Amino acid sequence: MNTLEVKGLSYAYPDGKPALKGVSMHAGDGECVGIVGPNGAGKSTLLLHLNGILPADDRRCGEVVVCGNLLANANLHEVHRTVGLLFQDPDDQLFCPTVREDVAFGPEQFGFPPAEIDRIVRDALHEVGLDGFEGRSPHHLSGGEKQRVCLAGILACNPGILVLDEPTSDLDPRGRRDLSRLIGRLPATRVIASHDLELVVDLCSRVYLMDGGEVVASGPALEILSNEPLMLAHGLEKPHSLQHRHPHQ
Amino acid sequence: MRHDYIDRYARIDSPVHRLPAALKLGVAFALVVSTAAVPISAVPYFVSCVLFLLFVMIAGRLPAAFVGVRLLTLEPVAAGVALLSLMQHDGLFVLVRILVKSNICLLAMVLLSNTTPFADVLAVLRTLRFPPLLITVLALMYRYVFLLIDQSERMARARRSRTFSGRRARRWKTAAGIVGHLFIRSTERAERIYSAMTARGWR
Repeated sequence: MNTLEVKGLSYAYPDGKPALKGVSMHAGDGECVGIVGPNGAGKSTLLLHLNGILPADDRRCGEVVVCGNLLANANLHEVHRTVGLLFQDPDDQLFCPTVREDVAFGPEQFGFPPAEIDRIVRDALHEVGLDGFEGRSPHHLSGGEKQRVCLAGILACNPGILVLDEPTSDLDPRGRRDLSRLIGRLPATRVIASHDLELVVDLCSRVYLMDGGEVVASGPALEILSNEPLMLAHGLEKPHSLQHRHPHQ
Repeated sequence: MRHDYIDRYARIDSPVHRLPAALKLGVAFALVVSTAAVPISAVPYFVSCVLFLLFVMIAGRLPAAFVGVRLLTLEPVAAGVALLSLMQHDGLFVLVRILVKSNICLLAMVLLSNTTPFADVLAVLRTLRFPPLLITVLALMYRYVFLLIDQSERMARARRSRTFSGRRARRWKTAAGIVGHLFIRSTERAERIYSAMTARGWR
């Protein structure tokens, strides 16, 4: 079961400023959960914890449970493999000289059989619609292509849980539509943090609204996102597609 | 914006580009080592080196102007050392020696980097069992140097668009600010890249 649970997670930045204050959330098997909130709400920081990137030290308290196992330093490598994390800026994530090497990076690190890696890379690139891009270098790709190569690099590790940080922020409308469709048909459990509320409306069944490092509201996506006073109070807006739709429709 | 002028021609097609990367790397390495070792009095050797490299340039369909400009941008390093040698006994002789030898080596490197994609060079180094960490560092350097150039040009343009006085002292001050900013941004990016690597199993 690919489930994710966060219980009372608090975290402070190295300068002592609190980033998360007792955040709790969960994502069920195969569910797609949205995290929305204004800039600086702590969304990205929360996502980094879901994959164990931020250290479990005295600046952190609370629990992260991945597939029923409590996240600890001992099982970090396993968690990295179970939880695929898509970073906000594709240039941070595409660190290899060619697309092939980048997509193969995860499988190589996780010790996949070398004979299979070529096939895994080909399949992952096919899944994101970039067949034949193996030899290209990342700095010659468009924003949408970079984002899709990043996703291929994560899918290649075959994670049960996908954590996506602003997946559509740099994309043009077509790139955004393609990526949205792609994410929508993935079988994995997905957690998406985004300002693109239409994306959240399209993909997520439940959302958590964060502000100031706390979860201020949570519930069915349509109910939260169409609550105009709540959205405005936290620096967001009711999405256009919900302007004339009843929340229980 | 794209900055591929370092190896702009690395991915075109020519008889030289089609040769195996290992061969090109081996020849370039041998040429650099022998050029450094052969005494300057062996004029026929140096002439044949230059002729060979010019032949590679033409066979590799590299425009002479592009190769010339690349060589000139690298020249200050060689010329700086050469000029310093003027202060010693027999300085002029040493100057000629340094200039001839270093230019042949630089030309060989410019030709290598524009006839062989860097990823292929790294693949050869990997089969030669170079330390993996060294290869990773080289790969990261190649990947991010373009981004760094991009970022500095964007910042310089933003500065130009808001600069109204031509006072030199002020220009230097803002240039220093840009360098400082670039440094901070690069360190932050380095941290994010490391996180992205860890997230995909690097340890």
